Amino acid sequence: MILRYTFFRMLMLIPVSFSISVVIFMIVYLLPGDPIDNLLRVGSSPEDRAKLVAQYGLDRNLVVQYFVWIGNMFQGEFGQAIVLRRPVADLVAQNLPYSLTLGGLAFLFSSTVGMTLGTISAIVRHPVLDRMMRAFILLGSTVPGFWLALLLILLFSVKLGWFPVSGAGGWQSLVLPVLTIGFGGVALVARVTRVALMDARREDFVTLLHAKGLSSGTILFRHLMPHALLPVVTILALRIGWILGGAVTVEFVFGRPGLGSLLIRALGQRDYPVVQACLLMLALAVMLGTLIGDIAQAAMDPRVREKKS
Amino acid sequence: MRYSTKTRLLTGSAIVAAGCLFSADAIAQNVTIGMSASELGATAYNPVAASNLNTATSLIFDRLVEQDADQSYHPHLATGWEETPDGLAWTFTLLDGVTFHDDTPFNAAAVQSWIASYAGTENEYLVEAIESVDVVDDLTVRFNMKRPEPNLLYNLASAFMGIPSPTAYAELGTDFGVTSAAGTGPYALQRFEIGLQTVLVRNDDYTWGSDLSENTGPGHVETFTFREIPDQSTAFLELQTGGIDLLLGVPTDFLPILKAEANIQIIQMPGTGISYMPINVTAPPFDDILVREATTMAIDQDSIVAAVYGGVGAPARNFLISSLPEANVDEALNVTYDPARAGELLDQAGWTMGDDGVREKDGEPLAVDLFTANSTEFTRLTQVVQAQLAAIGMDAAITVFDSSTIRDEYKRNAHQLAVRGYDWNNSDILDWFFSGNRLGYPNVSMWEDEEGQRLNDVAMTESATAAERIANFTAYHEYVLSQHLFVPIYQPTQNIAFNSEKITVPDPVRGSRFRQQSFMDIQVAQ
Repeated sequence: MILRYTFFRMLMLIPVSFSISVVIFMIVYLLPGDPIDNLLRVGSSPEDRAKLVAQYGLDRNLVVQYFVWIGNMFQGEFGQAIVLRRPVADLVAQNLPYSLTLGGLAFLFSSTVGMTLGTISAIVRHPVLDRMMRAFILLGSTVPGFWLALLLILLFSVKLGWFPVSGAGGWQSLVLPVLTIGFGGVALVARVTRVALMDARREDFVTLLHAKGLSSGTILFRHLMPHALLPVVTILALRIGWILGGAVTVEFVFGRPGLGSLLIRALGQRDYPVVQACLLMLALAVMLGTLIGDIAQAAMDPRVREKKS
Repeated sequence: MRYSTKTRLLTGSAIVAAGCLFSADAIAQNVTIGMSASELGATAYNPVAASNLNTATSLIFDRLVEQDADQSYHPHLATGWEETPDGLAWTFTLLDGVTFHDDTPFNAAAVQSWIASYAGTENEYLVEAIESVDVVDDLTVRFNMKRPEPNLLYNLASAFMGIPSPTAYAELGTDFGVTSAAGTGPYALQRFEIGLQTVLVRNDDYTWGSDLSENTGPGHVETFTFREIPDQSTAFLELQTGGIDLLLGVPTDFLPILKAEANIQIIQMPGTGISYMPINVTAPPFDDILVREATTMAIDQDSIVAAVYGGVGAPARNFLISSLPEANVDEALNVTYDPARAGELLDQAGWTMGDDGVREKDGEPLAVDLFTANSTEFTRLTQVVQAQLAAIGMDAAITVFDSSTIRDEYKRNAHQLAVRGYDWNNSDILDWFFSGNRLGYPNVSMWEDEEGQRLNDVAMTESATAAERIANFTAYHEYVLSQHLFVPIYQPTQNIAFNSEKITVPDPVRGSRFRQQSFMDIQVAQ
């Protein structure tokens, strides 16, 4: 059943991927400015321009250009970076590990800390703790990443001198970027965990479990948690793409290499093949996250796979 | 064998002291540099083909000649040079015993091959006047010129004329300067992570530094790490917290905070550029020369230097940095603040003051667009310019673009006024920004003028001697000023800040920029 559902979900990715690929392909035409103008040397002749147009295949029909491009993408041929003058695949391969490390740790941080805080606030019903929790959730959901990054740098790097301000040298340089990206996720996961657990505690079967004499710990970890995990898993899966996307500004502020830094630089230099490859990677991450979330949801709740398949 | 207590104590102390010295030396031998914002984004250490080079380039590649801050030229890989009276041949004698990082010799054949490698590249203009290069003997070359080129020494002192090893250049092809590089410089490229950092390691065989450095032998520092930190605030905080030892191109806004830090010292060098406001002469109302002249008189350069830049730097009165002789134009043509005269000119042009403080003509308000790029250096300046334009009745709306988009806007002639800057210490910058062959960008003023182009051509290609070139460019500069194509605003200084507890830096700095000659004299503070 789960295999059938997975197959169905993957099938659904085809039209989504197609639509996304069209938008990414059209980036060259949607961004302000003419890509060829950016490549031409100052004072170039119309002949130079025509030569470049032909070199990049921009004189062909738009549909043909798209299919050539997507065909190359399928074969892992991202082309040559115009400004950086290197194979785009090399640039992506060079930067992706940095983003995956940062994103992976931020994901781990937001999920473990978020779930822990959410569980504590759902169980310990204290008005002060409750208010603190709500304030934290509000803060975490609204504070912009770049601003939080600067605050963390001022506190932990400038005042306390615990962590480096920027760079990618050693684990110390990861702490502040992980905290910056993970902070919003912690608040979100904590909120969802808290609400899900509080809802689950109101279910009739919990009263029955108490009546049977089970300890609060057993009820929480064996019965309530699996029940409450469903929305949490959905949120966490959606966060995968969000975290990689959020890393764009954080990488910039912390001067870290990664897909985000590469994307910002490529946008500034109008290096379209690099922009397209970075966006494609980010879109893939979002789609993969959604897919994992859906499959996990279906695995945990038979009603989901019955309804959707 | 027995040792006295005194001997043991002395020996022990010596070992401890040696250990301390060794460890301090080992720690301090790597000096980390934060690059200036204007130098970020280099994609290759290839002086011949790259369009963007950073300071580290000057440490990998030596040049034939060097230029000092007073614009004088000094020998480096060329020990001397001679120009024929007609200016059609230059003979250079080369330094003996110089080798590239790949152990191949530097000689006349290397120079010949290097000049030839510019053909078809972005930087070909640097050698455009050279017809051919003859190898006279192993250490003598002759440049045969198409025409006299009094600017040749300036070109040869440019970072884009660092000399790569012909062998490595041919072998590596497009990978030269990316995966590896070989020059004759005091430091060799060890690692280049594009957009992140460059690590240079000392060339221990180096004995041919120029006379602009105290130290002409191997560098004092073992490795230099050049970091690219895109956010200027982050770079500033890195200096404050010891993450970097020296920061190039410190924005003037940060100077007061840095001056308050006990361990930070600041060196200020004369600037090599101008901040200015080009005026698009094709966009109404600026197609009227009276409106353009009025606009030039609306900007109070002195108050901008005092209020925006805390008195650091100097007001700009014309298009060239004041150390260039071509900046000495007829005093009447220099741009000065005169709001009363600006008002009169606008009245004369038919723009009368409205009740709301904005001038009008035929029922249309004097409302214009003021563009700028989203960099720290221009944000505040543009706001002050907006306020000063408002004082003469011109309502300027600011739009901020990223550096690529603003260029696109110039190219499609969508602009009226813009606040921008340039960094170049040669009068041929006038050709770059005002030649009719480059309308849109870099000719942001969109100025196309027959007499202007004639004066440009004369200055660029018909000057036989340095004195003639100065006279020709001065004439061209004066004509440009008479057309009111821009408002000169500010001559910034070059600001360098360093951690004085970790390194010592030569002061005053020799050379027109903080480059090889200064890095050679940087020492670790013990």
